[in-house]
Amino acid sequence: MNGHVKSMNFQQRAETAATLLCFLLLLAVDSTKTVAAARNRECSSDLERTLRLTKLIHRQTGVLIKTYKAFQGEMGPGVCKATGFDVPDPNISGLEPSERMASMYTHLQAFSSHLKRVQEQQTDLQLPGSIVLRKINESRVQNKRLSSSINSLYHTFFPNLPLPEPAGGPTTLPPPQTVFQQKIYGCVVLTTYKVFLANMSKNVKTLKSKMCRKAPKSTSNSGR
Amino acid sequence: MSSMLLQLFRLSFIASVLHAEHEKTSDLSVVQQTVMDTFHMEEYGSYLVIAPQSSVVEIGTNFTATCVITNTDEVTADDLYWNRSLSSVVPKEYYTKINVSALAVTIPITSRESEWLFCLANKKSAFVLLNKSKFMNGIWLKKRYPPKRATNISCVAEQKENEPSFPVLSCTWETVGHQTKDEQTTYTLMVEFPFPRLNRADCITGVFCKGIINRTETYTSSPTPHNKASVSFGSFPHHMNLDIWVVSQSSLGKIESEHLRQDAHYFVKTSAPSNVKVIVEQSFPTSLLVKWQHPIDQVYIKLTSQIRFCQDGSLDWRYVDVPNADTSVQTSFRLQDLQPGKDYVIQVRCKNVRRNRGYWSDWSDSVTEKTPEDRPTSKPDLWWKSENGEAQLICKEPKFSNGRITAYSIKLRYTKKEGEQEIIPVNGSGTQQSVDQKPVTLLKRISLADKPSVRVCVAAINSVGTSPEACLHIPAKPSGTQTVEGMNVSTLDGQMFVEWKQPNSAAVTEYVIEWMSNGKIDWQRERNSTNKTAIKGKLQPYVCYNVSVYPIQSGFIRKPARLEAYLKQGAPSEGPSTQSNPAYYSAELWWNPIPLDKRRGFITNYTIFYQKDHQLKNITVPGNITSYDLTNLSGNTKYDVWITASTIAGSGKGISHSFTTLKYAPEMVAGVVVGVSLGFLFFVLMTTLLCFYKKEVIKKNLWPQIPNPGESTIGNWSPDYPSKVETPKENCVTGVCVLNVGVCEVTPGFEEDKTSLSLKKDKYLSEEHSSGIFGSSCMSSPRQSVSDSDEGPDLADSTASTVQYSSVVASSGYKGQNPAPQPQHSIFSRSESTQPLLDSEEHPDIVQEGSRQVQCSPRESLFTHGAENQNTIESDNCRLLGMEQHDFCPLKEEAEQTTESDSQSADAESASPLSSYMPQLGGYRPQ
Repeated sequence: MNGHVKSMNFQQRAETAATLLCFLLLLAVDSTKTVAAARNRECSSDLERTLRLTKLIHRQTGVLIKTYKAFQGEMGPGVCKATGFDVPDPNISGLEPSERMASMYTHLQAFSSHLKRVQEQQTDLQLPGSIVLRKINESRVQNKRLSSSINSLYHTFFPNLPLPEPAGGPTTLPPPQTVFQQKIYGCVVLTTYKVFLANMSKNVKTLKSKMCRKAPKSTSNSGR
Repeated sequence: MSSMLLQLFRLSFIASVLHAEHEKTSDLSVVQQTVMDTFHMEEYGSYLVIAPQSSVVEIGTNFTATCVITNTDEVTADDLYWNRSLSSVVPKEYYTKINVSALAVTIPITSRESEWLFCLANKKSAFVLLNKSKFMNGIWLKKRYPPKRATNISCVAEQKENEPSFPVLSCTWETVGHQTKDEQTTYTLMVEFPFPRLNRADCITGVFCKGIINRTETYTSSPTPHNKASVSFGSFPHHMNLDIWVVSQSSLGKIESEHLRQDAHYFVKTSAPSNVKVIVEQSFPTSLLVKWQHPIDQVYIKLTSQIRFCQDGSLDWRYVDVPNADTSVQTSFRLQDLQPGKDYVIQVRCKNVRRNRGYWSDWSDSVTEKTPEDRPTSKPDLWWKSENGEAQLICKEPKFSNGRITAYSIKLRYTKKEGEQEIIPVNGSGTQQSVDQKPVTLLKRISLADKPSVRVCVAAINSVGTSPEACLHIPAKPSGTQTVEGMNVSTLDGQMFVEWKQPNSAAVTEYVIEWMSNGKIDWQRERNSTNKTAIKGKLQPYVCYNVSVYPIQSGFIRKPARLEAYLKQGAPSEGPSTQSNPAYYSAELWWNPIPLDKRRGFITNYTIFYQKDHQLKNITVPGNITSYDLTNLSGNTKYDVWITASTIAGSGKGISHSFTTLKYAPEMVAGVVVGVSLGFLFFVLMTTLLCFYKKEVIKKNLWPQIPNPGESTIGNWSPDYPSKVETPKENCVTGVCVLNVGVCEVTPGFEEDKTSLSLKKDKYLSEEHSSGIFGSSCMSSPRQSVSDSDEGPDLADSTASTVQYSSVVASSGYKGQNPAPQPQHSIFSRSESTQPLLDSEEHPDIVQEGSRQVQCSPRESLFTHGAENQNTIESDNCRLLGMEQHDFCPLKEEAEQTTESDSQSADAESASPLSSYMPQLGGYRPQ
């Protein structure tokens, strides 16, 4: 009798413990979902902000190209599509999101160096305080901010993956040029940069749809 | 090394003491003593050193100091003790013995006042006593609060005009914490971006964080003691996360505020939208299409907009949030449910489309546009006003006039037959006022003298159509008993409220509240269930309004209830002007009521002030009387009177008025007259009685018995005269002697004795000219009452009391008493006396009987002139003198004239032009 009672008591306790365990599991799952939802909101917000910044810089670059052309004098049609200035390819490479983000970052760094060279050249060609110089400077500042944003996003989404260094080493800048070549070079840089920004917008948009649809991949990548 | 350390401690101590001398002067003696000891210690060196030497301590914390014995074994840690200032010993329980040569103390820093902390030795050895100054040290504790912390940071970045730039981020914050007067906390605004999602803690937990904490840009404001600062961006960080915080700094260190981490667009305030346009569509009279431009491209910030609009002049704004499409920004909106034919004022503003981010911009410039007109959709507000026996039809525009009213259509029906329609053009205002504030239009005047009532129907007409009709039965006189009772008017918060009781029996369809002042009328309509309402018209303070509540029964106007009321009462702007009718002891005052526009309130009472010799009295009388009798006044006294009229709000003083009470009261005058009359009567009576009873005595004294010369026997001595000569007849009454002899009386018998008389003239020299009352010939004692013409002026002055009846100025011939062959020329001047004339003068007719005094009658008028009529008398004299040339003449000449021819008589007249009085030659017979 006593053993039976003890058995019943144990059974009751086991049921209570199981119920409590289930409840705790539910809470854990729910909290996970909550955290995931919160992270999802952050992900969406961060990528959205980066996307807008990219679009803004793209718009500003378009305005800059018009201003640049206006201040360079008569240049033939199609000169801004010339090649041979070691200007980076505007296309973003990579298959995985991390690779594409790394490619964006690398391109931004490369274009930053070219923009700096264009600014130096135009400083010699334009009057101090010229609107072209101000807009190029603005473009450089925005480039730096966009790089920082991509950097931040990358480390947010892929905290255990280091940003790769540029594949070809430091950015190669063109050798000394004539004034005309400088003008052509600047136009080519800006035009290519604008194309790159357009590509980047598309990629960030794609990233947003991929990265923020479910829990960020950082959780799965963390085991790598 | 240790000596160097000791020297360092000493120098720091001196420095702290000198610094304390600047900071704290109240404990000057202690400082001076310490400085002296310090110099002494500097000379000989101290055996005690305190650590730390830092003098800034935080209020509210515990401070620990350690006293170390150096270079001596004379004292140990047990011999040391601590003092706060020189006299206050720190209790032993705060001490901690570190070792034999070091003693620590931990004291709570509670007060805000800085103070000294001393370490001393109390061993009684001779060495210690002799080197007392070497066995003490101290530090100056400067007490401070920790820096104040900034909280509730809020920032705003305003758009630069016409540029997609927000160059300055301005932040404000609140502060918490305390601060002493001696020290000020400075604040520095910090802004950094981009701000990553991961923070340092995440990196520390093993996550790969290379480059993650490298922020690209940091902006710092200059330190400020105020609660606001700003940072300037070269390029505004669109679409960046900003990290904003404030660093507070004081001598006790730095404190960071909480970080505000938000998207940069969280802080933006754009410019107002531009190019706001309002498009009118004629086919939609109740709507307006609004278009505008955002101040910044949506690639920078996506904005949402808000519109507000109101009817022109009302400022009753209605707000509309413009919904945004998912993909595009809305920059146009159609306002609906507007009133046709009205002017609308429209404004637009914008902000960041994301909820709770960004600030609303300022409102754009106002754009005013009018909706298309539509047919009036409500009735005009018809009412009437009775004036001079005729009814004036008045109305206000319909509430929904939907445009400018151009005319009114009126139909009058006195009988059951429908009257003709009349169109009355008007120049409608088309204003935006509510129906209660719309102007009143006089439509028509109709006479109801021979008609009991008239039914009036009015419709308003605008450019599109006609409104529904408003009808009213206007009676010649509002009929029925007063159906509205318990009417009351009150004011509250600058509004006038009318309250009434609904009638039990009458089926009232609506009420009309009418208020009138100075001929201006206005009204408003209330539903039949209303029994209290506020007058919606613009009422003026200090103006008396006649408020009426008309019950309307199916368009029939019933008898109203009326009350006078003020929106606000004030003191009368002037007082009443006073008039008076003074008596001896009292004065009647009356005044006119103050004009209605000057009352400024209901007159509650008048106060009459009256003042006499700086004695001011006043009497308060009710406000409904306009006259008052002031009593208990003093006679023959000037009073200043003024009246103040009072309302519940104050008093207004009237013009001061003066009057003087009468000198005598009427009864006093009557008393005096009666008294004087009685006294006079009594006097007359007594005099009469006295004369009557004392007649003999008076006669004896005044008129002593004169022997009758006629009875004298002396006269008989002359044989030429009869023994008895007829004594001239005298008329002597008691006390009064009246001569029957006229001025020019001539006794015929004297002419016969002229010769003999001339012989006796010398004898009667003094008596020959006597005349008048006392100088009359009937007096026995002759008196010098008659003088020569040379003596005339003197006598006139000196004989003021002597009544001179007449003066006779004789010519030289007469005065000489020498009988001259030539006719005597005598000059008679008239009497200057006002003495009543003798009977003989007053009744010349009596004189005429016995003499030739007919010619002398003009003299009567001469004697009736008063002394004050001297000028007249003189002129009369001149005239009379002329007359006397014809009427008066000396007796002798006249006697001669009877025998002489007319020519001679004319000569005689020309020779004696001044002879006007006959010498009394025959007054007495020669005695």
